[in-house]
Amino acid sequence: MNGLDAPGPVARLEKVTKIFDGSGHPTAAVRDVSLEAGRGEMVLLLGPSGSGKTTLLTLIAGLTKPTSGCISLFGKNVEEYTAAGLQSLRADRIGFVFQTFLLIDSLTAAENVEIVLRFNGRRRAERAERTRTLLGELGIGHLARRFPRAMSQGEKQRVAIARAIANDAELLIADEPTGSLETRQAVDIIALLHALSKVRNAAVIVASHDLRLREFADRTLRLQDGMMVSGCS
Amino acid sequence: MYAVRTLRSQPVRLILTIGGIALCVVLMLFLLAVYRGVADGSVDYIRQNQVDLWVLQKNATNILRGSSLLSMDQIAAIARAPGVRTAAPVLFLLSTIRKGDKVGTIFLTGFEPEKGLGGPPRLVWGRVPHADDEIVLDRSFARKFDFQGGEEVDLQERRLKIVGISSGTNAFVIQYAFVTLRFARDLIGVPGLATCVLVNAEPGSGIGPIREEIRDVLEGLEAYDQETFLANNVREMRSGFLPLLYTVAVIGAIVLTAILSLLLSVNILERRKDFAILKTLGSPLAFLWGMVIKQALLIASVSCATALFLFFPLVQVIERISPEVDAVSTGGQIGGVVAAVLLMGLASSCVAIRRLRRIYYLEAFA
Repeated sequence: MNGLDAPGPVARLEKVTKIFDGSGHPTAAVRDVSLEAGRGEMVLLLGPSGSGKTTLLTLIAGLTKPTSGCISLFGKNVEEYTAAGLQSLRADRIGFVFQTFLLIDSLTAAENVEIVLRFNGRRRAERAERTRTLLGELGIGHLARRFPRAMSQGEKQRVAIARAIANDAELLIADEPTGSLETRQAVDIIALLHALSKVRNAAVIVASHDLRLREFADRTLRLQDGMMVSGCS
Repeated sequence: MYAVRTLRSQPVRLILTIGGIALCVVLMLFLLAVYRGVADGSVDYIRQNQVDLWVLQKNATNILRGSSLLSMDQIAAIARAPGVRTAAPVLFLLSTIRKGDKVGTIFLTGFEPEKGLGGPPRLVWGRVPHADDEIVLDRSFARKFDFQGGEEVDLQERRLKIVGISSGTNAFVIQYAFVTLRFARDLIGVPGLATCVLVNAEPGSGIGPIREEIRDVLEGLEAYDQETFLANNVREMRSGFLPLLYTVAVIGAIVLTAILSLLLSVNILERRKDFAILKTLGSPLAFLWGMVIKQALLIASVSCATALFLFFPLVQVIERISPEVDAVSTGGQIGGVVAAVLLMGLASSCVAIRRLRRIYYLEAFA
């Protein structure tokens, strides 16, 4: 079934625990966390540094496996996806935004966006057109041929967002997307993510310690020491 | 784009790598060219002397590394054998030519010019020797010792005039020189001797009966047809030269592959965060492999182009410094080396690609 038609939440976690067994000292990064993110919804995972937000995001994206519990993506248990299936899921339906943008510094803004479109085999002309449109929509069309080193932090994050939604992502995962931005830029970016969740009917999960983001979130979940301590709408 | 950009981001490293690989390619091209030159030069004498039979002492299967002496009676008996039209004795000797303080060793070939067999395969200048005080020198030898046509040289206390310069007579370690058979025999002081006899059959008579006659009547002699004798000499030349060539070529190939693997691996390690990001964003492994393979093939191609640009002038310089080096390059050789280098590029990328598997998604979040 196509994800657009799939009923229920885009991402669903039930009593998920992740324990890292480094050097014989098991550490629970995430404990018994349950959450859901539906289409057109922006969910904020709020918590201090080390509270397990990033681990939770990697679990949601299928990048790591839970020690226990169940994670469903687009209505299907992640355990049922093959490695190739998860890879094409990330290429076709999931987008990522990182705190430090993680643009490839040897590529221009347009190339940074275009490269992900190659993962799902789009033609060159289609890739170029899509990239041009996206950069224009995000107000950074003039930066297309500029390299990341010649951009401001806010511009970089916009390019990163363009890259994240280039594949028409149904699930957008953002790890501290405002962490490296000044207040005004941070507000712009989070407003943009919120707008994307509505306009594109995408589920957006944002992990952050920035309390200012609460006003943009449809739901806020608080994490502390790997556990969900509260949830509010 | 990414593949090219990352290579260009470290220009010095890239130039050094391309330079190193290009030198390996030049080495391989040069060895092949020298081999081809030696292969041609060593057996051109035999190939160009189109005769029906080469008669030598048994067990002397070739003239490069075989010892054969035929007596006057044996030579006469061969000439008398039924079906023989021409029997041309040839005497090979190792000797030295002197001019001032320059001394060079030659493979002196005494032949009978009037019979038209056993002489130089090609003359680039002059004519064959007719008199006993005349000599034809190999072109590389003449160039090395700066001997000019018309000059006089000393050969074992005898003075000879250079009347011709030959090509196809450079066997790399030694070069042929041609004198009359009478002069060569006179040098060793034993009349009537020859190393071998070149035989042409009467038109219409096969070589089989002549060969049988020689085997039956002249005990201790063997008659080889042209094809067999050429193959014997080629085999002998290869057995002495090819192992060395292969060893150096293989070392060159290993160095080339190692340099390229190292560059690609270092590139991956330096850019491991980029690869982790791409993996996280959903890049198929094949896409990442493709980038590494593209880099490998790009470097290999540019290195080959650089090598070809350097090769021909370099050969000219080497041939000027060491005229006995007779490098012959063909399109096939060059194509073969380029194909081999591209294959080595692929092999290098396979080594480097293994590192991609050890780059984890979580590195993007670190």
